[in-house]
Amino acid sequence: MTTEYDLSPEDFADTAKAVVNACAEADTTATRIALLADAGLTGILASDSSGGMGLPVDFAVPVLHAAGAGMLAAPLLETMLLAQAFSGTRDDLATAIAIGHTKVTIAWNGELDGSAGTVDRAPLAEDCDAVLVFRRDGSAILVTLGESAEVLADDTLDLERPEARVVITAAEGPVLSAETVTELQRTAQILRSALILGAAEDSLERACEYAQDRRQFGKTLVSYQAIQHHLARQCLAVETIRNSIARSLSPHCEMPVDAARATFIGATGLGANTAETAIQIFGGMGYTWDVPLHRHLRFVRTLAAQGKAAELLDNVAQQLLSAENNKKELQRAS
Amino acid sequence: MTQTAAVASERPSPETAGDNARAWLDANLPQTLREDILQEREPSIAELSEWESKLHKAGIIGATWPKQYGGGDLGLRAHLDISREIGRTPMPESVNSIGKELAGPIILAVGNERQKAEYLPAILEMRNIWCQGFSEPNAGSDLAGLRTRAEKTGDGWVINGQKIWTSGASKSSHCLLLARTGSVEDRHRGLVLFAVDTSLPGVDIREIKSIDGARHFCEVFFNDVVVPEADMLGSPDQGWAAATRVLSIERATNRMHRAWRFENQLQHLVSACAENPATRRLVEHDYARPLAEVAVNIELLKGHVETLVGSLIDGNEIGPRGSLPKMFWSEAHQDFSKLALEIVSRFPPDMSDPLRAVKRRMEDIYIKARAETIYAGTTEIQLGIIAKRILKLNWER
Repeated sequence: MTTEYDLSPEDFADTAKAVVNACAEADTTATRIALLADAGLTGILASDSSGGMGLPVDFAVPVLHAAGAGMLAAPLLETMLLAQAFSGTRDDLATAIAIGHTKVTIAWNGELDGSAGTVDRAPLAEDCDAVLVFRRDGSAILVTLGESAEVLADDTLDLERPEARVVITAAEGPVLSAETVTELQRTAQILRSALILGAAEDSLERACEYAQDRRQFGKTLVSYQAIQHHLARQCLAVETIRNSIARSLSPHCEMPVDAARATFIGATGLGANTAETAIQIFGGMGYTWDVPLHRHLRFVRTLAAQGKAAELLDNVAQQLLSAENNKKELQRAS
Repeated sequence: MTQTAAVASERPSPETAGDNARAWLDANLPQTLREDILQEREPSIAELSEWESKLHKAGIIGATWPKQYGGGDLGLRAHLDISREIGRTPMPESVNSIGKELAGPIILAVGNERQKAEYLPAILEMRNIWCQGFSEPNAGSDLAGLRTRAEKTGDGWVINGQKIWTSGASKSSHCLLLARTGSVEDRHRGLVLFAVDTSLPGVDIREIKSIDGARHFCEVFFNDVVVPEADMLGSPDQGWAAATRVLSIERATNRMHRAWRFENQLQHLVSACAENPATRRLVEHDYARPLAEVAVNIELLKGHVETLVGSLIDGNEIGPRGSLPKMFWSEAHQDFSKLALEIVSRFPPDMSDPLRAVKRRMEDIYIKARAETIYAGTTEIQLGIIAKRILKLNWER
């Protein structure tokens, strides 16, 4: 793909893969964020004035794909989004986030109505300095974690990016406008889909490799058409996610907002199904802790919850059944 | 609505092709051809041909074909824009889709100048309707096993064999025939493509009644049919290569409008239900989420179509990736057809004409959708293509 930039999104894929592999050897979230920041990956979306690269979302897709495939244990999605969101209004803060000095996350569930309350689904909050909290009026506030914002470990499906609850007694900090939050949420839908794509593709690759090695009744598993078809269906699922991400980011997409929402909703179902099928193909081995497919499955399901896939599907239904929508159709029919 | 706008005098530019198509279709689709209102009778082939001829004159059909053969000389992007509008319009499917989406592109790829000049404008102007003579009783999805033989004679070829599932053959003037020159053991080698005039002596066409009650399918017998050398498309051995190349593009671009037609069907169901308190309650209370899932699948299908079109525009080969949209569409559309059938089966007995129209349309879609996972390569064939040629799984070791 050629772009108006010197680089193409694909140029980031190899770097991202190498850095994610290096992160797998690192001991702490802070070290991993530092490695990502050193490679410039946390600031891809942040503006030049914030020490970032000011690149469009397309360029972040291969990075998050690599993060999903490599089970990255860092709040990379949240870091990228917040470095971008504070660019222009708080360049000092955006820079600190992009270079990894301020480690941030986002509490994806719950809203503050006033200055106190509880929010949750904040990945790796225990290792971060601040958490973005959504507010009832549509805006959001970046709260420093400490005495007035206490992090509590929560039950969590995701093993790489354990979620935490945050109890806030006095919310103070830099604020994002409602418009910026809306944009952040939309970008998050695409970038989460990229994480899911990575997880799904890695699940599929592992299942293909296993099916071609493992022998039963004197033949490899993949010799059985049932297994071939299982794998082919998961390939279709992975390509569906990939193509839908590409369409959502294409300048030719007629309705990018609807497309991004559908991409994310679709990715959650297809991605989870791919990990589930991979577990099935591994048989008993698939159910063991050491085969990491369950990690992908946990991650995808957690991303679905953080992005509120079920509520988004309800929004699609509301839009489809809305009077305005139907009126338009009836007018055309008459 | 009446036919108010005249046939467009100027062909659309790439930038306005979609908008022009939208305006023209809104103004010109006759009430008698609308699929979203209750019709008293099926339109005739003559009516459908006339409609399609007008679509061509308006620049809506043949947009990507060269101007010298009656096309619009537009690119794939404009074709996609036009296809969206065709899909959004509840109009009948083409009765000459084989001509426009298979025979035409193959002739453009391997035909000589005379063949292009003779056949291509005739397809667009609906003077010639084509059928596809590929499948045989023992070579359905496995085309390499076909047995219809072409033997060289002094001034042409003698064809003997049988084709089956030949859609629309009884209404076609020409058949795009795939035959072999050697033995069946040669598999992909020695396959030849012909443009066969179906009125030639020895061509015997018999209709087969399909599960939707139509007599669209046919079996076609070739008994010592003499085909002139001039009607061979490409050289011997080029046949299979041309067919597979075109088929792979066909799976990606053929009926490009179907994602938007699918959307039109969903919108028709929902908007008709919204007009009646009982059916509105029904969809809102019992089917909101399943219908939303259909809407999501339609967006995902658009992702396949638009991304593959983008890839073709960038000059990439589609190859086996053409199987992806075909497979996704056919299964998602079948799922929708089951859901839609369940919804319309719960309509009240005193339903209005708009509800009766949507009920009839959804019942028809349900039955016809059974074919979608069978034709153009069954689901099982598509899965095999994906496993072997995209995943490159090796089951020999």
